[in-house]
Amino acid sequence: MTQNSLSPNEDYSASPQGRFRKIFISIFVIFWTLLFHYESTRHFFLNPFFKQTLPKVRFLFPPAGWIMFFNVDDGYGAAEVYGRKDGRRARMDPHRILATRAVGYDNIHRNVLSEVLSPYQAQAFCRFLKRKFPEFDEFEVVATYYPSVTQEPKKKLYRIIYVCPDL
Amino acid sequence: MSRPLTSLWERLFLEYRPSLGLAFFRIAVAVTVGFHVLPSFFHLEDNYLSPAYKTVNLSFFTPGVIDLVQQSPNWLVCAFVLAFCLMWFCFLIGLFAQMSCILMTACCYYFYALNCFHIGTLSWDILLVTLFLMCISPYHGDYFSIDALRSGDVNIYRRKRPFFIQRLLQMQIAATYFYTALYKITGGGNWLTDNPIYYLLNYPPEGVTKQFIGREFFASQPQLCYWSGILIVVIEIALPFLLFIPRTRLFAIGAGCFFHVVLIVTLHVPTIFFFLFPPQLLLFINPNKLIYWIEKRRENNFSGGQAKIIYDGHCQFCVNSLKKLMVMDLFGYLKPVDYQTAGNVQDIHPQLTKEACHSQLHLVEPDGRLYGGFFIFRRLCFKIPMLWPFFIFFYFPGTGLVGPWVYRWVAKNRYLFHRNKVCHDNSCYVTSQYLKLD
Repeated sequence: MTQNSLSPNEDYSASPQGRFRKIFISIFVIFWTLLFHYESTRHFFLNPFFKQTLPKVRFLFPPAGWIMFFNVDDGYGAAEVYGRKDGRRARMDPHRILATRAVGYDNIHRNVLSEVLSPYQAQAFCRFLKRKFPEFDEFEVVATYYPSVTQEPKKKLYRIIYVCPDL
Repeated sequence: MSRPLTSLWERLFLEYRPSLGLAFFRIAVAVTVGFHVLPSFFHLEDNYLSPAYKTVNLSFFTPGVIDLVQQSPNWLVCAFVLAFCLMWFCFLIGLFAQMSCILMTACCYYFYALNCFHIGTLSWDILLVTLFLMCISPYHGDYFSIDALRSGDVNIYRRKRPFFIQRLLQMQIAATYFYTALYKITGGGNWLTDNPIYYLLNYPPEGVTKQFIGREFFASQPQLCYWSGILIVVIEIALPFLLFIPRTRLFAIGAGCFFHVVLIVTLHVPTIFFFLFPPQLLLFINPNKLIYWIEKRRENNFSGGQAKIIYDGHCQFCVNSLKKLMVMDLFGYLKPVDYQTAGNVQDIHPQLTKEACHSQLHLVEPDGRLYGGFFIFRRLCFKIPMLWPFFIFFYFPGTGLVGPWVYRWVAKNRYLFHRNKVCHDNSCYVTSQYLKLD
């Protein structure tokens, strides 16, 4: 078997091309590192420190840094959807409403449905429900809330947020 | 003062090191992206087409981009689905690795802007940061890739590249752990002042906590939960430092991987955490040490542990295929032997004849076992890392019958697959008897 021109120890670092590459890489590394740490600290540290809302870099990075499970309290809220037909009312399986499943990950348990509680989402979500579940006449979107999962685990509060199509 | 700093900078980012680890990481990134995005295409009407229920991420995109993407007609969405699938597959197999990475990432952005409802999570933003770094260079296509096979260089696994991409990926995951812990104990975090693990374990069944063994016991132990939370924060803060200290690196990689296994067993978290982060931790393994270990294995094989693969040197198709096999042969297991110039082939194995060698490839293992045709590939699945993914394919029920038939057809017509004018009509092939081999 022959080897082609790709030498495994190819290293242009001493050549002018290599020097240019080093400068380019160094600038990129510095720029990227500053950007990464700026966006990681902007929301919770830099904004309070400078007492103003600093600009967010669009198209990359989350809105408030890496905040996985950073604040978990004793209450738990979720959304439930009920379908009505001929005066009867039944809770709909959230997995039927949002059928998409990433491999190995059930986003219903990550409370993805709670986004539909926003009044801004009401019209679009009602339209979606009506198309997907024509067997129902109306839908109730309900906010549920456990005030304390440790002290009163059985106490669950309900509040109808909106009803489709009576918006 | 400036010389040591320059030297440190050189060692951290500019030094040329093998890109083998980055190549492996490419596969992990591709699998993670696929696991996260592809399922959203199974419900296209619900997620992306005009009647879909959509939400948009205005803190990530500009309103102009959102408006533009939201105007997409259904045919354009379908075109992007096809483009994503194609580019994702090319990225996975490392075909035009950098270009396919850029185009796949562009498709990811398109679907994120179209509807962030399903794919948009915090971990997705982490994945995009990773993809951005992968787009910067083609280094991840150096090995475990079609690009490597196309190069035909048997030493390409040792190819050295500037280390900065791998270093930035290391820094990214280390900083992510650090900031995750920092926000738990400062800012809006409540892991010092309250008992988040206790609450998580007592969440109702529809909550984020899975029903794992021991959950009920832990859920009734607030003190244990609190100190477990403190331990998690301590590990998350310590991990970045432990990862960069050579002596503690292996422990830190193991602890990090264990942490992600515990996370996926106990919580409904996006699988990005499980499929991306542990491979990213493996980027802390020094690629020079990895190559040293590979070279040791190659040396062992060269000193008596090689299997002879007997091929037809007059067949350009066979030579080209064998070249690709040699590029895949990371541990130097194969020693190619052209039967046309090898003299008496019975010296290699008593069952071999010139006619048999003309009819198909043969593999003679160091212990004398002989394999022929299709069954060589079955055997090499265990020996050549780049063939590991084909294990399921080669051992799928029925391939033992179909595989040899397909192989024989290809072998019989092999002179048609190359540009040798003498043999363009397959006249070089002579009917020959096949050895009965398993």
